[in-house]
Amino acid sequence: MIEITLEVNGETRRLSVESRRLLADVLRQEFNLSGVHIGCAQGACGCCTVHLDGKPRLSCLTFAAQCDGMSVRTVESVGGVDADHPLQKAFRSEHGLQCGYCTPGFIMTLIPFVEEMTAEGRMPDDEEIREAMSGNICRCTGYQGIVEAVRKAIGENLKEGAQA
Amino acid sequence: MTQHMDRPKHIGARIQRFEDTRLLAGTARYIDDIRLPNMLHLRFVRAQMAHAKILEIDTETLEDIGFPTQVFTGADIGDLSIKAHQDYPEMQYSEQPLLARDRVRFVGEAVAAVLADDAYRAEDAAEMVFVDYDPLEVVTTMDQARDPEVPGLFEGWRTNVFVERQMKGGDIATAKAEAAHVITRTYTTQRQAGVPMEGRGVAAEYDPANRTLTVWSSTQIPHLVRTYIAEELGLPESRLRVVAPDVGGGFGVKGQVFPEEVLVPWLAMKTGRPVKWVEDRREHLTSSIHARDHSHTLEAYVSEDGRILGLKADISVDVGAYSTFPFTAAGDPGMAAKVMPGPYDFQHYEATFRALATNKCPIGTYRGVGRPSAVFSQERLMDDIAKELGLDPIAFRLKNVVRNFPYTNALGFTYDPGSYAETLEKVRDLLAEDRAAAAASHKDPHKRIGVGLACFVEQTAHGTPDFTRRRVPIETGYIAARVEMTPDGQAFVDIGLQNHGQGHETVMAQVAADALGIDPGDVHVRHGDTLTTPYSVGTWGSRGGALGGGAVHVAATRIADKLKAIAGHLLQTDPQKIVLQNGAAHPEGHPDRHVAVAKLARAALRNVDQLPAGMEPGLEVQYSLDGPNDGTYSNAVHAAVVEIDTKTGKMRLKRFVVVEDCGTILNPLIVDGQVRGGVVQGIGSAMLEHFIYDEEGQPLTVTFADYLMPLATEIPEIELHHIETPTPLTPLGAKGLGEGGAIGPAAAIANAVADALGIEVSKTPLNANALWHLARKGEKNRAG
Amino acid sequence: MRPSEFEYHKAESLEQALALLQEFGDEGRPIAGGQSLVPMMNLRLARPAHLVDINGLGLDAIEEGGGVIRIGALVRHETYLAEPLIIDNFPAFIDGVHAIGHPTIRRNGTIGGSLAHSDPTAELPLLCMLHDGEIIVASAGGERRILATQFFEGAYMTVLEPGEMIVAVELPVPPASSSGAFVEMAERRGDFAIAACGVTLEHAGGRVTRAAVACSGAGQTAMRAPQLEEALEGLELECPDAATAIAAFTDTLNPPDDHSASADYRRALIGQLVERALSVACSRAMEAS
Repeated sequence: MIEITLEVNGETRRLSVESRRLLADVLRQEFNLSGVHIGCAQGACGCCTVHLDGKPRLSCLTFAAQCDGMSVRTVESVGGVDADHPLQKAFRSEHGLQCGYCTPGFIMTLIPFVEEMTAEGRMPDDEEIREAMSGNICRCTGYQGIVEAVRKAIGENLKEGAQA
Repeated sequence: MTQHMDRPKHIGARIQRFEDTRLLAGTARYIDDIRLPNMLHLRFVRAQMAHAKILEIDTETLEDIGFPTQVFTGADIGDLSIKAHQDYPEMQYSEQPLLARDRVRFVGEAVAAVLADDAYRAEDAAEMVFVDYDPLEVVTTMDQARDPEVPGLFEGWRTNVFVERQMKGGDIATAKAEAAHVITRTYTTQRQAGVPMEGRGVAAEYDPANRTLTVWSSTQIPHLVRTYIAEELGLPESRLRVVAPDVGGGFGVKGQVFPEEVLVPWLAMKTGRPVKWVEDRREHLTSSIHARDHSHTLEAYVSEDGRILGLKADISVDVGAYSTFPFTAAGDPGMAAKVMPGPYDFQHYEATFRALATNKCPIGTYRGVGRPSAVFSQERLMDDIAKELGLDPIAFRLKNVVRNFPYTNALGFTYDPGSYAETLEKVRDLLAEDRAAAAASHKDPHKRIGVGLACFVEQTAHGTPDFTRRRVPIETGYIAARVEMTPDGQAFVDIGLQNHGQGHETVMAQVAADALGIDPGDVHVRHGDTLTTPYSVGTWGSRGGALGGGAVHVAATRIADKLKAIAGHLLQTDPQKIVLQNGAAHPEGHPDRHVAVAKLARAALRNVDQLPAGMEPGLEVQYSLDGPNDGTYSNAVHAAVVEIDTKTGKMRLKRFVVVEDCGTILNPLIVDGQVRGGVVQGIGSAMLEHFIYDEEGQPLTVTFADYLMPLATEIPEIELHHIETPTPLTPLGAKGLGEGGAIGPAAAIANAVADALGIEVSKTPLNANALWHLARKGEKNRAG
Repeated sequence: MRPSEFEYHKAESLEQALALLQEFGDEGRPIAGGQSLVPMMNLRLARPAHLVDINGLGLDAIEEGGGVIRIGALVRHETYLAEPLIIDNFPAFIDGVHAIGHPTIRRNGTIGGSLAHSDPTAELPLLCMLHDGEIIVASAGGERRILATQFFEGAYMTVLEPGEMIVAVELPVPPASSSGAFVEMAERRGDFAIAACGVTLEHAGGRVTRAAVACSGAGQTAMRAPQLEEALEGLELECPDAATAIAAFTDTLNPPDDHSASADYRRALIGQLVERALSVACSRAMEAS
């Protein structure tokens, strides 16, 4: 067992974990964050993506022991129980989800992309958007709703930026 | 039976989904989120050989493992099994034991169940169980399965054929005699599967005080799971509750009753503790179910002027080691045989179809069931015939499609009105430029463009007679809904469907809201729990909107009639003239004289003294809607434009167009999502996805690094066009929708490849290796 | 699919990491990005008893000096895409990095991890071979330098001994008049390739003066093509026609024949990829000069 301190969605906790426990499992079991989903446990589907010190990371390929002193964000922290982050809203309006299992992974993968494009002040083309989500598999939507949601979220950010 | 509502306001509207919020927020609850006090975690020891006798299962090492474990094997579970028989004399029966007894028949079959307090430790313990096998002759090909010299997979079997039967109509000999052209081809579609992002999983808890057993399963069919468990374990069904929590995709995979769904509750009762099993991805890819794996030899009889006179089909499906419940081993070959005549007008047809047993994962349902393979063969054949006769493939189809409805085909199935010719004409117009570009590219040795299409009908929402004819244990296909109002004027819809992405929580609310004159946001749709929902067959067979929506409409309309009667009484007006709208009732033409629906509901449930004399209190109606005898026929044309680099085999999908007709559209947002999602799965079928076994029956595609599904980068925008031909056969005019998207792509893409390379294409998947070989063949053909 | 038990050790210094790896021998493995190792551990195909976490050791610089560009073992793949030393000197390398996996993999995966994993068609092993890279390997007993061309022994096998870990890769700085390109063929974007090819050229007076060609897909590791490289000397940049030399090269190949690709397809594909990489490298050379 190993003692670690994790800051998860703003809550800092010290806990004792077995070395081999995957970050995904620790977030699910110790922090009750059921929005962290495991789709393949081999880094091929993106379902388990969370932010580790602000950057997307596959929590099925990360041991909790490696995250001592680090900060973790999961989908639960993004837009609260109402899911009202602009990207979540765009997923809703563009039908970017069906069964919802892959959705938290897509949201966590794409939020930094949306922010980056917004900061650069440009609308990426279709190919760039698809490349940004190429590590995530969705079996329901055929991706189009997700692509449209990303475009919409960036578009609204750019519009807001232009007005401000 | 069509019943009219006042003014549809929400049906047909592009309403955002109510279920999205919890799915986006991460607060949805999937099977692995079920956590119970004192719960045991189950890990399976699974067969590593495809066909072998079990000599010994050694569990002694577990004694020193350092934490508590329990192990169960086939010897502990008696004859509990999955039995999926069709009542035909020629059917050879197979039973899939919950844990292998004496013999394993495919790699991945469960041999022992190991329980521990923690999932990691259960996996540690399962590794310590050693199984000693004595190998048996392995059957991996269709030819081996049909060889009478090869020993049967089961005691007493003659050959490894589950069943072989025929379907026919008209007189095939007449068609053959009259034909100017006889065209024979063989087409095959590979082994693949639905592969939802969430695998399977089951949890169970027994409460000895109330003698109740609760089972959570990631299933599309909770009521059928309940009945199967009750019958197999000999439990009173009234003491059983099956809950499908949020389900992370199904696509038909979760539309079977699996051995694990019976075993986990059995273990919970046996151990007196809650038990949970969550499948890992490797298990899912080797041990759940696979799909397709068809080979069809078709012989078409065509007149001098290009009319199809008749079709003869020989259909084989490699269905793996066991017959699956409730659609059985004959489900896929039977479906292919039934639907092979497709949208074309001819009256002579004969099909022989067989289900072959091999040492592979059992075949079950996957979006389209038999139809993607049938349409692949049928639509490739149409192009091959057109080419042989020197006809334009669209003109050839237009000459042969059914145009007069209702139409009864050679097998006696009656098609309700559709838009077969119109969808073809629309696609012809949309693709004119692409076809010209393709033709121009055919001189280029490196970059070839091809255009291909697939025209198909899809029997959806079929009723009980269709299952009775097939003598399958599914037995029926109705969906029930119960609508209940609360005293505040809101409503519950409790429906026997299970929602795993189809948007039922929204669409059913739209339907109920229109009938009741309230806002869809005031309707709470519940599903997936046998405790709260009326008995139904669950979600499969493209019946959610057509039958589920229809049942909700009828039930809600009956409540609306009662609300109108109460309103008529309160407003001293003829109830027939009452309109329910915007949460209130008013006499037609007098919106100012209104009374709130909430007040009417309260009168029915609380202030019953205000009801008309003799009216029964209460506001609850349940209605079960069976499908039309022959179903209702959706139709579509899919078209693909591909660009192939003949030197590398790289294919790019430049364009994919769908013109579809699913009757009345209940929510365009959801309809578009269903079609696009299905199409992309179909693209995976056409180009990438393939379960491969070696000669020893070892699966070679056991992770997402080997089983390749489409990524966003491989997929173009899917263009959709709708034609709405409402059916008179369902209450809302809706036809089935969920599966159609997956049915056409393999055929359309294969036809596009054939067009691009100037060769015939006989099998999928069309991956880079296959395309390079086809391109080489095309070059040789031209040279030779 | 969860790992078997192991002990986790966070190394605070390179010396400590090497001491731990020495102590654990073949029971120990360094872990950096974990993008290759952890999938193997989750499948229980790898089951080290000790993991030595080297993420805190720095080793993530890209520096020029002494005629080489030194890439620390912990440099993450996405770093190259914004690194002038790589962009300006190694166009083929940049092409190759674009083809590695997906954004999240590129953000976390490291060069040391990729080389040590030795997937037969991974991009970085091929690129290090192409650029005449030397792999710097350290152990408690000291450092040794191994040419990339001699580092990979087979699929998932390298010359690394127990107790050793990669600390850096050095690529010689190419002369000013050089060029390169990398092309790969994968079933889906980001997948491990069916085959891939990288080419670098030095040129003068519109002709190739020195060429390097590396390809994967023909065997258990990537490989260089020395005879082909020699044959490319003197090739005109403007309309390079190397068909004969390429055919002579691919004729010598004996690629695997399996369910994902036949041997003849792989052989023909490698020829195509060489031709295309060469063509891009030549036109880049023309543009620059």
